Amino acid sequence: MDSIISAKGFTKKYSKFTLDVPELDIPKGFATALIGANGAGKTTLIDALCGIIHATSGEVTYFGKYKDIDSPELREKIGYCASSGFFPQAWRAKDIAISMEIAYDSFDRKKFEKLCGQMEVDTELTKKARPMYKQSDGNRMRTSLAAVFARDTELMVLDEPGSSLDPLMRDRLCDRMREYLDEGEGEKSIIFSTHNIADMENAADYAVFMDAGKIIEQGFVEDLKEKYIIARGEAEDYNDAKELLISHNCNKTAFDGLALSENREKLTELGAACERPTLQQLSIGLLKYAEEIR
Amino acid sequence: MKILQNSDVPIYKQIATQFKEDIMSGKISEGEYLPSIRGLARDLKISVITTMKAYEQLSEEGLISPVQGKGYMVNAQDREMVKEQHLRLLEQHLQNAMDSAKLAGVSREELLKMINVLYDTN
Repeated sequence: MDSIISAKGFTKKYSKFTLDVPELDIPKGFATALIGANGAGKTTLIDALCGIIHATSGEVTYFGKYKDIDSPELREKIGYCASSGFFPQAWRAKDIAISMEIAYDSFDRKKFEKLCGQMEVDTELTKKARPMYKQSDGNRMRTSLAAVFARDTELMVLDEPGSSLDPLMRDRLCDRMREYLDEGEGEKSIIFSTHNIADMENAADYAVFMDAGKIIEQGFVEDLKEKYIIARGEAEDYNDAKELLISHNCNKTAFDGLALSENREKLTELGAACERPTLQQLSIGLLKYAEEIR
Repeated sequence: MKILQNSDVPIYKQIATQFKEDIMSGKISEGEYLPSIRGLARDLKISVITTMKAYEQLSEEGLISPVQGKGYMVNAQDREMVKEQHLRLLEQHLQNAMDSAKLAGVSREELLKMINVLYDTN
Protein backbone atom coordinates (compact mmCIF):
# COMPACT_ATOMS: atom_id res chain seq x y z
CA MET A 1 0.00 0.00 0.00
CA ASP A 2 1.25 3.48 -0.85
CA SER A 3 2.17 5.89 1.93
CA ILE A 4 1.19 9.51 1.90
CA ILE A 5 3.72 10.33 4.60
CA SER A 6 6.56 8.11 5.61
CA ALA A 7 8.88 9.19 8.42
CA LYS A 8 12.06 7.65 9.77
CA GLY A 9 13.98 8.51 12.94
CA PHE A 10 11.71 11.47 13.43
CA THR A 11 12.22 13.42 16.66
CA LYS A 12 11.42 16.78 18.18
CA LYS A 13 13.12 17.58 21.46
CA TYR A 14 11.93 20.14 23.97
CA SER A 15 13.36 20.57 27.44
CA LYS A 16 10.55 18.61 29.08
CA PHE A 17 9.11 16.64 26.19
CA THR A 18 10.49 14.50 23.40
CA LEU A 19 8.59 13.28 20.40
CA ASP A 20 10.24 10.09 19.24
CA VAL A 21 8.92 8.34 16.15
CA PRO A 22 11.36 5.75 14.80
CA GLU A 23 9.04 4.80 11.94
CA LEU A 24 5.68 5.99 10.70
CA ASP A 25 3.83 5.20 7.49
CA ILE A 26 0.47 6.80 6.89
CA PRO A 27 -1.55 5.05 4.17
CA LYS A 28 -2.71 6.93 1.09
CA GLY A 29 -6.42 7.21 0.33
CA PHE A 30 -7.67 6.94 3.91
CA ALA A 31 -8.47 8.96 6.99
CA THR A 32 -5.88 8.44 9.71
CA ALA A 33 -6.69 9.36 13.29
CA LEU A 34 -3.99 10.37 15.76
CA ILE A 35 -5.37 9.35 19.13
CA GLY A 36 -3.88 10.22 22.49
CA ALA A 37 -4.36 11.99 25.79
CA ASN A 38 -3.71 15.71 26.18
CA GLY A 39 0.03 16.24 25.96
CA ALA A 40 0.71 12.93 24.20
CA GLY A 41 2.40 14.72 21.30
CA LYS A 42 -0.30 14.73 18.64
CA THR A 43 0.02 18.41 17.83
CA THR A 44 3.82 18.28 17.97
CA LEU A 45 3.79 15.42 15.46
CA ILE A 46 1.32 17.19 13.17
CA ASP A 47 3.14 20.52 13.34
CA ALA A 48 6.54 18.93 12.75
CA LEU A 49 5.23 16.91 9.79
CA CYS A 50 3.61 20.02 8.29
CA GLY A 51 6.69 22.15 8.77
CA ILE A 52 4.99 24.50 11.23
CA ILE A 53 7.85 23.70 13.63
CA HIS A 54 11.22 22.22 12.74
CA ALA A 55 11.93 18.61 13.66
CA THR A 56 15.11 17.94 15.60
CA SER A 57 16.04 14.97 13.42
CA GLY A 58 14.62 12.54 10.93
CA GLU A 59 13.65 12.15 7.32
CA VAL A 60 10.16 12.47 5.96
CA THR A 61 8.92 11.55 2.49
CA TYR A 62 5.64 13.08 1.33
CA PHE A 63 3.54 11.59 -1.49
CA GLY A 64 6.36 9.11 -2.09
CA LYS A 65 8.66 11.75 -3.62
CA TYR A 66 8.88 15.10 -1.83
CA LYS A 67 11.47 15.46 0.92
CA ASP A 68 11.40 19.21 1.56
CA ILE A 69 8.30 20.46 3.35
CA ASP A 70 9.15 24.03 2.32
CA SER A 71 8.77 23.23 -1.37
CA PRO A 72 5.94 25.42 -2.72
CA GLU A 73 4.65 22.58 -4.88
CA LEU A 74 4.22 20.37 -1.82
CA ARG A 75 2.69 23.16 0.25
CA GLU A 76 0.04 23.59 -2.40
CA LYS A 77 -0.98 19.95 -1.95
CA ILE A 78 -1.32 19.99 1.83
CA GLY A 79 -4.19 21.64 3.69
CA TYR A 80 -3.40 22.37 7.33
CA CYS A 81 -5.84 23.44 10.00
CA ALA A 82 -4.62 24.20 13.53
CA SER A 83 -6.62 23.35 16.63
CA SER A 84 -7.27 26.96 17.52
CA GLY A 85 -7.96 29.85 15.19
CA PHE A 86 -4.81 30.77 13.30
CA PHE A 87 -6.20 33.76 11.48
CA PRO A 88 -5.58 37.18 13.04
CA GLN A 89 -8.30 38.02 15.54
CA ALA A 90 -9.40 41.20 13.79
CA TRP A 91 -10.03 39.44 10.47
CA ARG A 92 -13.44 38.80 9.00
CA ALA A 93 -14.40 36.16 6.42
CA LYS A 94 -13.47 38.53 3.60
CA ASP A 95 -9.93 39.12 4.91
CA ILE A 96 -9.46 35.38 5.17
CA ALA A 97 -10.64 34.87 1.60
CA ILE A 98 -8.28 37.55 0.27
CA SER A 99 -5.25 36.22 2.15
CA MET A 100 -5.94 32.59 1.25
CA GLU A 101 -6.30 33.60 -2.38
CA ILE A 102 -2.87 35.24 -2.30
CA ALA A 103 -1.27 32.34 -0.42
CA TYR A 104 -2.67 29.43 -2.42
CA ASP A 105 -3.23 29.08 -6.16
CA SER A 106 -6.11 26.66 -5.79
CA PHE A 107 -8.12 28.59 -3.21
CA ASP A 108 -11.64 28.91 -4.56
CA ARG A 109 -13.58 31.89 -3.20
CA LYS A 110 -16.91 30.56 -4.40
CA LYS A 111 -16.28 27.26 -2.67
CA PHE A 112 -15.29 29.12 0.50
CA GLU A 113 -18.51 31.08 0.33
CA LYS A 114 -20.50 27.87 -0.05
CA LEU A 115 -18.65 26.02 2.71
CA CYS A 116 -19.12 28.93 5.13
CA GLY A 117 -22.82 28.69 4.36
CA GLN A 118 -22.85 24.95 5.06
CA MET A 119 -20.95 25.49 8.28
CA GLU A 120 -23.38 28.28 9.21
CA VAL A 121 -20.82 31.03 9.80
CA ASP A 122 -20.37 34.54 8.37
CA THR A 123 -19.34 34.57 4.73
CA GLU A 124 -17.65 37.21 2.61
CA LEU A 125 -21.04 38.51 1.60
CA THR A 126 -22.57 38.64 5.08
CA LYS A 127 -23.50 42.17 6.00
CA LYS A 128 -21.69 43.33 9.13
CA ALA A 129 -19.65 40.11 9.31
CA ARG A 130 -18.05 39.68 12.72
CA PRO A 131 -14.28 39.64 13.28
CA MET A 132 -12.77 36.42 14.63
CA TYR A 133 -12.40 37.73 18.17
CA LYS A 134 -16.13 38.30 18.44
CA GLN A 135 -16.89 34.70 17.59
CA SER A 136 -16.93 31.49 19.60
CA ASP A 137 -14.17 28.88 19.36
CA GLY A 138 -16.54 26.64 17.45
CA ASN A 139 -17.35 29.29 14.87
CA ARG A 140 -13.68 30.14 14.43
CA MET A 141 -12.95 26.46 13.80
CA ARG A 142 -15.80 26.29 11.29
CA THR A 143 -14.40 29.27 9.41
CA SER A 144 -10.90 27.75 9.41
CA LEU A 145 -12.25 24.43 8.15
CA ALA A 146 -14.22 26.16 5.41
CA ALA A 147 -11.04 28.00 4.36
CA VAL A 148 -8.91 24.88 4.17
CA PHE A 149 -11.56 22.76 2.40
CA ALA A 150 -11.96 25.53 -0.18
CA ARG A 151 -8.53 24.69 -1.53
CA ASP A 152 -7.76 21.88 -3.95
CA THR A 153 -5.46 19.67 -1.90
CA GLU A 154 -4.42 16.03 -1.77
CA LEU A 155 -3.74 15.77 1.94
CA MET A 156 -5.76 17.35 4.71
CA VAL A 157 -4.13 17.66 8.13
CA LEU A 158 -6.62 18.69 10.78
CA ASP A 159 -5.60 19.19 14.41
CA GLU A 160 -8.50 18.46 16.77
CA PRO A 161 -11.08 19.55 14.19
CA GLY A 162 -14.04 18.16 16.12
CA SER A 163 -13.20 19.30 19.64
CA SER A 164 -14.83 22.70 19.61
CA LEU A 165 -17.76 21.76 17.38
CA ASP A 166 -21.26 20.82 18.51
CA PRO A 167 -22.43 17.25 17.76
CA LEU A 168 -24.41 18.23 14.68
CA MET A 169 -21.54 20.19 13.17
CA ARG A 170 -19.11 17.39 14.02
CA ASP A 171 -21.35 15.02 12.08
CA ARG A 172 -21.30 17.44 9.16
CA LEU A 173 -17.50 17.59 9.38
CA CYS A 174 -17.31 13.77 9.22
CA ASP A 175 -19.54 13.89 6.13
CA ARG A 176 -17.25 16.50 4.57
CA MET A 177 -14.22 14.32 5.29
CA ARG A 178 -15.81 11.28 3.63
CA GLU A 179 -16.79 13.39 0.63
CA TYR A 180 -13.19 14.56 0.39
CA LEU A 181 -11.91 10.97 0.34
CA ASP A 182 -14.60 10.00 -2.16
CA GLU A 183 -13.83 12.80 -4.62
CA GLY A 184 -10.16 11.81 -4.46
CA GLU A 185 -10.93 8.21 -5.48
CA GLY A 186 -8.04 6.96 -3.42
CA GLU A 187 -5.68 9.83 -4.19
CA LYS A 188 -6.71 12.07 -1.30
CA SER A 189 -5.90 11.40 2.33
CA ILE A 190 -6.73 12.90 5.71
CA ILE A 191 -4.82 13.00 8.96
CA PHE A 192 -6.69 14.27 11.98
CA SER A 193 -6.03 14.25 15.69
CA THR A 194 -8.52 13.79 18.45
CA HIS A 195 -8.67 13.03 22.15
CA ASN A 196 -12.32 12.11 21.88
CA ILE A 197 -12.57 9.43 19.23
CA ALA A 198 -16.13 8.37 20.13
CA ASP A 199 -17.53 11.24 18.07
CA MET A 200 -15.42 10.45 15.05
CA GLU A 201 -15.31 6.68 15.31
CA ASN A 202 -16.67 6.14 11.82
CA ALA A 203 -14.42 8.71 10.21
CA ALA A 204 -11.20 6.83 11.00
CA ASP A 205 -9.74 4.14 8.77
CA TYR A 206 -6.26 3.97 10.22
CA ALA A 207 -5.41 4.75 13.82
CA VAL A 208 -2.16 5.86 15.41
CA PHE A 209 -2.18 5.76 19.21
CA MET A 210 0.23 8.06 21.01
CA ASP A 211 1.41 8.35 24.58
CA ALA A 212 4.15 10.54 26.07
CA GLY A 213 5.69 11.37 22.69
CA LYS A 214 5.73 7.79 21.41
CA ILE A 215 3.55 5.75 19.10
CA ILE A 216 2.25 2.81 21.11
CA GLU A 217 0.13 1.09 18.45
CA GLN A 218 -1.00 1.69 14.89
CA GLY A 219 -2.99 -0.11 12.26
CA PHE A 220 -6.16 -0.26 10.21
CA VAL A 221 -9.12 0.07 12.53
CA GLU A 222 -10.77 -3.13 11.28
CA ASP A 223 -7.57 -5.10 11.88
CA LEU A 224 -7.11 -3.65 15.36
CA LYS A 225 -10.68 -4.54 16.24
CA GLU A 226 -9.81 -8.14 15.43
CA LYS A 227 -6.45 -8.09 17.14
CA TYR A 228 -7.95 -7.05 20.49
CA ILE A 229 -11.00 -7.95 22.55
CA ILE A 230 -12.70 -6.50 25.59
CA ALA A 231 -13.07 -9.06 28.36
CA ARG A 232 -15.48 -8.69 31.27
CA GLY A 233 -15.89 -10.98 34.24
CA GLU A 234 -16.72 -11.49 37.90
CA ALA A 235 -14.39 -9.86 40.42
CA GLU A 236 -13.53 -13.27 41.93
CA ASP A 237 -12.02 -14.43 38.62
CA TYR A 238 -9.87 -11.33 38.27
CA ASN A 239 -6.70 -12.81 39.76
CA ASP A 240 -6.64 -15.64 37.23
CA ALA A 241 -7.49 -13.36 34.31
CA LYS A 242 -5.10 -10.57 35.29
CA GLU A 243 -2.13 -12.01 33.42
CA LEU A 244 -4.08 -12.19 30.18
CA LEU A 245 -5.27 -8.58 30.27
CA ILE A 246 -3.44 -5.67 28.73
CA SER A 247 -5.34 -2.98 30.63
CA HIS A 248 -6.83 -3.60 34.03
CA ASN A 249 -9.93 -2.36 35.75
CA CYS A 250 -11.39 -4.18 38.74
CA ASN A 251 -13.73 -3.33 41.57
CA LYS A 252 -15.65 -5.35 44.16
CA THR A 253 -18.18 -6.61 41.65
CA ALA A 254 -16.56 -6.99 38.28
CA PHE A 255 -13.45 -6.59 36.16
CA ASP A 256 -12.87 -5.57 32.58
CA GLY A 257 -9.95 -4.93 30.34
CA LEU A 258 -8.43 -5.08 26.93
CA ALA A 259 -6.81 -8.36 25.84
CA LEU A 260 -5.33 -9.91 22.74
CA SER A 261 -7.82 -11.94 20.71
CA GLU A 262 -5.49 -14.93 20.85
CA ASN A 263 -6.32 -15.17 24.57
CA ARG A 264 -10.04 -15.25 23.96
CA GLU A 265 -10.44 -18.98 24.64
CA LYS A 266 -8.45 -18.87 27.87
CA LEU A 267 -10.47 -15.90 29.10
CA THR A 268 -13.74 -17.60 28.19
CA GLU A 269 -12.65 -20.66 30.16
CA LEU A 270 -12.13 -18.37 33.14
CA GLY A 271 -15.74 -17.29 32.81
CA ALA A 272 -15.12 -13.93 31.16
CA ALA A 273 -17.40 -12.59 28.44
CA CYS A 274 -15.52 -11.26 25.42
CA GLU A 275 -16.64 -8.71 22.87
CA ARG A 276 -15.29 -6.85 19.87
CA PRO A 277 -14.07 -3.42 20.99
CA THR A 278 -15.28 -0.13 19.59
CA LEU A 279 -12.52 2.27 18.62
CA GLN A 280 -13.31 4.22 21.78
CA GLN A 281 -12.89 1.14 24.01
CA LEU A 282 -9.73 0.23 22.15
CA SER A 283 -8.33 3.72 22.71
CA ILE A 284 -9.07 3.69 26.42
CA GLY A 285 -7.55 0.22 26.83
CA LEU A 286 -4.37 1.06 24.95
CA LEU A 287 -3.87 4.47 26.53
CA LYS A 288 -4.46 3.00 29.97
CA TYR A 289 -1.93 0.27 29.26
CA ALA A 290 0.59 2.88 28.11
CA GLU A 291 0.02 4.80 31.31
CA GLU A 292 0.50 1.65 33.42
CA ILE A 293 3.86 0.80 31.87
CA ARG A 294 5.12 4.37 31.41
CA MET B 1 -29.11 -0.55 2.54
CA LYS B 2 -29.54 -0.35 6.27
CA ILE B 3 -26.71 -0.53 8.75
CA LEU B 4 -26.98 -0.89 12.52
CA GLN B 5 -24.11 0.98 14.16
CA ASN B 6 -24.36 -0.69 17.56
CA SER B 7 -25.14 -4.23 16.52
CA ASP B 8 -23.08 -7.26 17.60
CA VAL B 9 -22.59 -8.03 13.93
CA PRO B 10 -19.62 -6.05 12.60
CA ILE B 11 -20.66 -3.40 10.08
CA TYR B 12 -18.59 -4.92 7.30
CA LYS B 13 -20.45 -8.22 7.73
CA GLN B 14 -23.80 -6.45 7.59
CA ILE B 15 -22.81 -4.83 4.30
CA ALA B 16 -21.44 -8.07 2.85
CA THR B 17 -24.60 -9.97 3.81
CA GLN B 18 -26.89 -7.42 2.23
CA PHE B 19 -24.94 -7.36 -1.02
CA LYS B 20 -24.87 -11.15 -0.98
CA GLU B 21 -28.65 -11.24 -0.70
CA ASP B 22 -29.00 -8.71 -3.50
CA ILE B 23 -26.65 -10.66 -5.73
CA MET B 24 -28.28 -14.02 -5.01
CA SER B 25 -31.76 -12.66 -5.57
CA GLY B 26 -30.66 -11.12 -8.83
CA LYS B 27 -31.38 -7.56 -7.67
CA ILE B 28 -27.81 -6.78 -8.68
CA SER B 29 -26.95 -8.75 -11.76
CA GLU B 30 -23.84 -10.15 -13.33
CA GLY B 31 -21.51 -7.54 -14.79
CA GLU B 32 -22.90 -4.69 -12.72
CA TYR B 33 -20.58 -2.66 -10.53
CA LEU B 34 -21.03 -2.21 -6.80
CA PRO B 35 -20.91 1.40 -5.56
CA SER B 36 -17.36 2.75 -5.16
CA ILE B 37 -15.74 1.99 -1.82
CA ARG B 38 -15.39 5.63 -0.80
CA GLY B 39 -18.79 6.57 -2.21
CA LEU B 40 -20.51 3.87 -0.17
CA ALA B 41 -18.57 4.90 2.96
CA ARG B 42 -19.78 8.46 2.41
CA ASP B 43 -23.40 7.44 1.92
CA LEU B 44 -23.51 5.06 4.88
CA LYS B 45 -21.49 7.41 7.12
CA ILE B 46 -18.95 4.76 7.92
CA SER B 47 -15.22 4.52 7.45
CA VAL B 48 -13.63 3.61 4.13
CA ILE B 49 -11.80 0.63 5.57
CA THR B 50 -15.08 -0.92 6.68
CA THR B 51 -16.60 -0.93 3.19
CA MET B 52 -13.28 -2.11 1.81
CA LYS B 53 -13.33 -5.07 4.17
CA ALA B 54 -16.90 -5.94 3.15
CA TYR B 55 -15.88 -5.94 -0.53
CA GLU B 56 -12.80 -8.03 0.23
CA GLN B 57 -14.98 -10.63 1.90
CA LEU B 58 -17.38 -10.76 -1.07
CA SER B 59 -14.39 -10.99 -3.36
CA GLU B 60 -12.91 -13.90 -1.38
CA GLU B 61 -16.22 -15.71 -1.60
CA GLY B 62 -16.08 -15.29 -5.35
CA LEU B 63 -19.20 -13.13 -5.63
CA ILE B 64 -17.41 -10.07 -7.00
CA SER B 65 -14.06 -9.31 -8.60
CA PRO B 66 -11.95 -6.18 -8.54
CA VAL B 67 -11.52 -4.50 -11.91
CA GLN B 68 -8.50 -2.22 -12.23
CA GLY B 69 -9.57 1.39 -11.99
CA LYS B 70 -13.29 0.59 -12.10
CA GLY B 71 -14.16 -0.92 -8.76
CA TYR B 72 -15.84 -4.22 -8.04
CA MET B 73 -17.91 -6.12 -10.57
CA VAL B 74 -20.48 -8.82 -9.82
CA ASN B 75 -19.39 -12.23 -11.09
CA ALA B 76 -21.56 -14.76 -12.87
CA GLN B 77 -23.11 -16.83 -10.11
CA ASP B 78 -23.78 -20.50 -10.11
CA ARG B 79 -27.04 -20.04 -8.24
CA GLU B 80 -27.84 -23.75 -8.02
CA MET B 81 -24.53 -24.52 -6.39
CA VAL B 82 -24.74 -21.67 -3.91
CA LYS B 83 -28.29 -22.71 -3.07
CA GLU B 84 -27.12 -26.26 -2.52
CA GLN B 85 -24.41 -25.02 -0.16
CA HIS B 86 -26.92 -23.02 1.83
CA LEU B 87 -29.31 -25.96 2.03
CA ARG B 88 -26.56 -28.12 3.43
CA LEU B 89 -25.73 -25.41 5.99
CA LEU B 90 -29.42 -25.15 6.88
CA GLU B 91 -29.70 -28.89 7.46
CA GLN B 92 -26.67 -28.79 9.70
CA HIS B 93 -28.10 -25.93 11.77
CA LEU B 94 -31.44 -27.70 12.09
CA GLN B 95 -29.70 -30.84 13.24
CA ASN B 96 -27.91 -28.79 15.91
CA ALA B 97 -31.21 -27.24 16.96
CA MET B 98 -32.81 -30.69 17.23
CA ASP B 99 -29.90 -31.96 19.32
CA SER B 100 -30.25 -29.05 21.72
CA ALA B 101 -34.01 -29.53 21.83
CA LYS B 102 -33.55 -33.16 22.82
CA LEU B 103 -31.13 -32.20 25.60
CA ALA B 104 -33.49 -29.55 26.92
CA GLY B 105 -36.51 -31.81 26.63
CA VAL B 106 -38.23 -29.58 24.08
CA SER B 107 -40.83 -31.45 22.07
CA ARG B 108 -41.20 -31.44 18.30
CA GLU B 109 -44.30 -29.23 18.48
CA GLU B 110 -42.58 -26.75 20.81
CA LEU B 111 -39.56 -26.57 18.53
CA LEU B 112 -41.75 -25.87 15.50
CA LYS B 113 -43.61 -23.24 17.50
CA MET B 114 -40.30 -21.59 18.40
CA ILE B 115 -39.30 -21.43 14.75
CA ASN B 116 -42.63 -19.84 13.91
CA VAL B 117 -42.22 -17.25 16.64
CA LEU B 118 -38.69 -16.44 15.53
CA TYR B 119 -39.84 -16.11 11.95
CA ASP B 120 -42.48 -13.59 12.96
CA THR B 121 -40.14 -11.51 15.10
CA ASN B 122 -37.54 -11.33 12.32
